[in-house]
Amino acid sequence: MSQLSLKGVAIVETFAEAFPMVGTRIVITAPSLEWALIAARTMTGFATSVIACGAEAGIERTLTCDETLDGRPGVAVLLFTMDTDKLQRQLRNRVGQCVLTSPGSACFAGLEGEKKLKLGASLRFFGDGWQVSKMIGGRRFWRIPVMDGEFLCEATTGFTKKAVGGGNLLVLGKSHAAVLAACERAVKAIDEIEGAITPFPGGIVRSGSKVGSKYKGQIASTNDAYCPTLKAAVNTELPLGVEAVMEIVIDGLTEDSVAKAMHAGVHAIVEGGAEAGVTHITAGNYGGNLGPHHFHLKEILA
Amino acid sequence: MSALTFELRSAPDQRLDLGPLLPERLDGLKPKEIEALAIGTTRVPLSVGDGFKVTGTDASEVRFAGTDARCDKIGAGMTKGAIVVDGDAGAYLGAGMKKGKIEVSGSAGVLAGASMAGGSIAIAGDAGERAGGIHVGETLGMRGGVITIGGNAGSLLGERMRRGLVIVGGDAGDYAGGRMVAGTILIKRRVGANAGFGLRRGTLILVEPPKDILPTFGDCGVLEFDYLRLLEHWLRANDKPVNLGGRARRLMGDMSVLGKGEMLILA
Repeated sequence: MSQLSLKGVAIVETFAEAFPMVGTRIVITAPSLEWALIAARTMTGFATSVIACGAEAGIERTLTCDETLDGRPGVAVLLFTMDTDKLQRQLRNRVGQCVLTSPGSACFAGLEGEKKLKLGASLRFFGDGWQVSKMIGGRRFWRIPVMDGEFLCEATTGFTKKAVGGGNLLVLGKSHAAVLAACERAVKAIDEIEGAITPFPGGIVRSGSKVGSKYKGQIASTNDAYCPTLKAAVNTELPLGVEAVMEIVIDGLTEDSVAKAMHAGVHAIVEGGAEAGVTHITAGNYGGNLGPHHFHLKEILA
Repeated sequence: MSALTFELRSAPDQRLDLGPLLPERLDGLKPKEIEALAIGTTRVPLSVGDGFKVTGTDASEVRFAGTDARCDKIGAGMTKGAIVVDGDAGAYLGAGMKKGKIEVSGSAGVLAGASMAGGSIAIAGDAGERAGGIHVGETLGMRGGVITIGGNAGSLLGERMRRGLVIVGGDAGDYAGGRMVAGTILIKRRVGANAGFGLRRGTLILVEPPKDILPTFGDCGVLEFDYLRLLEHWLRANDKPVNLGGRARRLMGDMSVLGKGEMLILA
């Protein structure tokens, strides 16, 4: 199954197959970091996969008062979709319903770029004619009156069409606890990488999928080759001693950010060595024909 | 290359029109061509060479030395580069300018930055009437950019201003922000009578409460404004430190017109 190993953990010589996405970053500030995080978590909720959520989103990192435009604590959020129109719609809906509504919040652009997405430029209409436009340093901001004062929101934010979604690592181990602990370490390490997020719950997916299903209309179904309970019945990829598999999915603003995140993730997973219960690290792909970005684990570790 | 420098030989006996001495117009001209440029405003002909000693070659930065309040139109209509004035400036300083940077170590006359659309003007001393106001032939005042006045500003500051930022370190005269359409004026000390007269939109930020408030302004009470924090942060980042805090009394007006403007009196 594998030839490489790192601290006794087998690294399967395969690759993660990833896809082009469009992505943007916004900055949410609030009177306290706690409230900025509440707004950010709400906005990035139900955004694990474009399959059914419409977008993939997550918190990139927290920001100190010195790093934000209004000198308050903040959170940088990344949002990804498959095309620009969907990104615009998701951004408007999520900021409008989750950030505008959050007490004391403000919202700013987090990405530069020639082409822009509307942010406050569409949400301003909530002001019903009482909204105020302000240009500061060549950037337009909207002050929208709300019940706790004003919602300050930058008119636009930049976006990139060079984002990459679906970078992934599959972690195999002798016990559920060992795999979960290893994945938690990996997610923590990936949190430090600029421009990358892990959009699933806690950054970890326990229900990896394959394309298609025996049922009509079901576009994705359980990745049976990696289900430990089906080892005896399907063309399994799992050795008999593997008790659990979890996946870390990574989206990034650039190909490089995904590669760096995967690198950090692999090293965090093997931190405890094979003794910690992790047996293999592999990656998911579709044979290389669907996604143009191939992250080979061998190269990631180099 | 050193900055192209114009040193005034003696106090002129007529007002000077220094409008032609812009970085974009001087770029590529030979010294003799520059000295031949007309700057007189009376029937007595006067050229640059008559009034100024010209040194330096780099037209991207134009410097004036020893100028006084009769040196008009410095930087008027400017579209690029920098102008540094070591002395006073007359009327129309940077009026109608679109881009670039002007610094004046002394004071400026009337209509400084009138109807300017972009760029920045920094006046260390005082500014005359209608700074950021309406340039001759225009219908609106300042439409963009930043004017910083270290001293006092005359009356009708930012009249019919449409966009941009004016910062006054000292006092402002009567009718500050008169008939303003939009934009922001920050006055760090006292403001004269009838501030915000005819204010349609736009913001007057007053560090000190005005002596009189027009009866056509309505009180919203003291409130939190994240906008003030944003502005303070930007000003600090651009070497214009000021303490705005986040709380201000909001007076909406002028209700005799559109009434969507505001005076934010810092709390």
